[in-house]
Amino acid sequence: MTTLDTTVVVAEPPRVRAPVGRRRVIGALTIVLGLFVMLAFGLGSVAGAHSQFTFTPVNTSSGAPWNLAPLTVLTRWWNLGLGLVTVALGVETWVRRPAGALVRFGVGGVLFFIALLLWACREPGPSPVSSLNFTSVLIGSLSIAMVLIYGSLSGVLCERSGVVNIAIEGQFIGGALAGAMVDSVTNSFWLAALVGILVGALVGWLLALLAVRYLADQIIIGVVLVTLMSSVSSYLNIQVLAPYPNLNVGNQPSNVAIPLLSKIPIVGPVLFNETMFFYVAVLLVALISFGLFRTRWGLRVRSVGEHPKAAESVGINVARVRYSTVMLGGAVAGLGGVAFIAVQGQFQPGITSGLGYIALAAMIFGKWKPSGAVVASILFGVSAYLVDALQNENVPIPTEFMTMFPYLVTIAVVAGLIGRVRPPANDGVPYKRD
Amino acid sequence: MRVELQGITKRFGSFTANDHIDLVVEPGQIHCLLGENGAGKSTLMNVLFGLLHAEEGQILINGEPVHFDNSGEAVRHGIGMVHQHFMLVPVFTAAENVVLGFEPTKSFNRLDHKTANAKIVELSKKFGLEVDPDAVVETLPVGLQQRVEILKALSHDAELLILDEPTAVLTPQEIDALMEIMRSLARDGKSILFITHKLKEVRAVADVITVIRQGQVIDSVPPTETENQLAALMVGREVNLTVVKESTQLGDVVLELKDVVVRDDRGLAVVNGVCLDVHAGEIVALAGVQGNGQTELAEAIAGLRHVESGTITLRGQDITNHTPREILDAGLGHVPEDRQRDGLVLSMSLADNLVLNTPRRAPFARRGTRNLNAVDANATALVERFDIRTTGIDATAASLSGGNQQKVIVARELARPLTCFMASQPTRGLDVGSIEYVHRQIVNQRNEGLGIFIISSELDEVVALGDRIAVMYAGKVTGIVDPSTSREDIGLLMAGSTMGEHV
Repeated sequence: MTTLDTTVVVAEPPRVRAPVGRRRVIGALTIVLGLFVMLAFGLGSVAGAHSQFTFTPVNTSSGAPWNLAPLTVLTRWWNLGLGLVTVALGVETWVRRPAGALVRFGVGGVLFFIALLLWACREPGPSPVSSLNFTSVLIGSLSIAMVLIYGSLSGVLCERSGVVNIAIEGQFIGGALAGAMVDSVTNSFWLAALVGILVGALVGWLLALLAVRYLADQIIIGVVLVTLMSSVSSYLNIQVLAPYPNLNVGNQPSNVAIPLLSKIPIVGPVLFNETMFFYVAVLLVALISFGLFRTRWGLRVRSVGEHPKAAESVGINVARVRYSTVMLGGAVAGLGGVAFIAVQGQFQPGITSGLGYIALAAMIFGKWKPSGAVVASILFGVSAYLVDALQNENVPIPTEFMTMFPYLVTIAVVAGLIGRVRPPANDGVPYKRD
Repeated sequence: MRVELQGITKRFGSFTANDHIDLVVEPGQIHCLLGENGAGKSTLMNVLFGLLHAEEGQILINGEPVHFDNSGEAVRHGIGMVHQHFMLVPVFTAAENVVLGFEPTKSFNRLDHKTANAKIVELSKKFGLEVDPDAVVETLPVGLQQRVEILKALSHDAELLILDEPTAVLTPQEIDALMEIMRSLARDGKSILFITHKLKEVRAVADVITVIRQGQVIDSVPPTETENQLAALMVGREVNLTVVKESTQLGDVVLELKDVVVRDDRGLAVVNGVCLDVHAGEIVALAGVQGNGQTELAEAIAGLRHVESGTITLRGQDITNHTPREILDAGLGHVPEDRQRDGLVLSMSLADNLVLNTPRRAPFARRGTRNLNAVDANATALVERFDIRTTGIDATAASLSGGNQQKVIVARELARPLTCFMASQPTRGLDVGSIEYVHRQIVNQRNEGLGIFIISSELDEVVALGDRIAVMYAGKVTGIVDPSTSREDIGLLMAGSTMGEHV
């Protein structure tokens, strides 16, 4: 028989299965993507077709020091090449199953994007008569991505504290409407931003009131708030904006070029010659990322979203944290609404067309992290913009299918690519003190 | 620190959970609060910890009256609590959990991880509670998670430590280690309030035992009191703690598990090659600390979870990955672990709950129409036979006490001819009277030749009921032993030793 052993036998926790199988799936998807590029965009172009990209954005002076000359290529061969590289990446991912599988897929995605543009602007003859402005495509994509970044940051904030914010769309609408009116009257986008922030925070406060105080179902409240905001905006549109068109003049803020950096080809005009809303978005990503994961404030917000009871047991006021974080999230989304109207010009009912929901998807795709939300927002921004851009090009796809594209990408990405993600444990669960 | 509770009364509506309770904890004392589930122990502790507010009475610390609006204030007054369900954020590190709410910071509100870690290492050394400050809590075994909880309380300079049912989730060895920690804390002058319903532990560690029954203090006694005396105080009448079992004839194998592999929701193979058989006329009891795959194994047998590989047979018939309906029809009776979630439809009547597993069958239904007379007759008969205390067969399942809810499930499952009866945690949360009753029913069925498979994390129950005891650890059966085996050896099996090494 044995003697009594008083030391605690520490049990080895069961090991998490490495996502090796998923990497193989990603590899396979990359191969499929590459083959698609080769077949559809490569062999799908006639042998002698040419494509031309230009790189000088329309709105900058042509006298910039480092301008790139237009690039003219043989569409079929370039696309076959791009597809082949993608297939190679996929094969390597399939065989080696590296940790950076998703990064390789991302590179494949970028190549797909370039191939798609080359194919879309091809001309059958040897000397192209039309060309595609590559830099403008990036600028346009980024303007949508920027709005999505505001929305998904709002989602990250709220859900990290345990409140699901379906109402981002409503906060966009509120911010956009208020922004359009304030800017029209004052001609100041700074004031418009301020009012947009207040409107967004007010919607956030309503959400928090119903969710935290009255413990209502957050999904339902969110949808109700969106419906409310969209109805209010329709009403105001008919009653106020229509009879007084000078309340909706559709100003757009001027760009702020950063010296030197804005002169870099492609990157300069895309990243360093933007409106203040873009720079603020970048700043917010950094700030919220830092705040959530490096500071005491962030630790407390996250503890409330993960295990509110534990937070309360160490004296953290769960309700107060949720109220303040949800209002902060609302403010960010409200600002996003103003940013949106700054891009779009005039306000019209239904103008946000579900961007708030796509922002929510971007937040999930980004695994409830600001940095991830940025990547996802760019992906969704690109796919949303492409729809607009390609409608003017030589693309034999019905418009109706084209407009589905961003949503299809959203479904595919959220459902399949990211694997298992874990939301905050008490996300969407009302907390009741007992 | 001397803590005194005077005349604490807490009501929930018309129900008095605490009725004028007086209690004194002296410095350096291990004071045990003993009582059944629902006796009002946890309510009292939540009042002391500022989570609930008493209608009457006051709390004195070192003679001074104090009042806590929330637990933060209790903590500032030197009271620490280790909750039954740990108040730890699973995705945070040990250090982050310990400092939460009291975080050291640098400029810009930044967390000061270095100071936090240093503080934990210092506390670990001082009290002999070693924990890696950077370990993510959810990856730690339960015993170590509990250490993090204790360290958290100590880091707030707790002078009185409340431990609420701290042993429920521990192996016998971990329990021994915990008791050693409690003694060493008491030697350092800390007061400890230890809440439990387990008699053995109380006598091993307490300086004073206060027994609570139905919200009232019954008596304070020294630990020299016998277990039977303590049980009688706790329940209010003489209790028979041992289960009498007659010897029976072993029959054929009725339930056979071969190399069963089952994954949990996270995709981990938490049941990893389990082999086991249950004969007619015997009780096989599966012991093990919670979370070693027992729950998933039971779900797999009942057809509620996919079996990855291996086979499950019920008297020779392969039921692997069959539907729950087919498995019930094949003769498996199943009492699920969480009776309120999986065992009953709480909002439905007692009568309906008693036919949940055979609603479409004659005599309860014919050609898709229910025969409510038969349903009611069945309910009346079972209420009588199983002594279910209820206001009537139309009462909702939710209106019954925990013990009577369990009787409803047991009655429903035993009301039809069975091949094998499987019960998970059959007496969890029940009072001693109900435990006696359920145990008696199980033994009776065994005597009548039914094969019985019990899954329980209560070692006492496993030893009392089992004809053979199988021990599960990390998804595997680490040993099958006789119930006369010493608790230490069973404990070692529960902690992962295999038979060959130690016995």
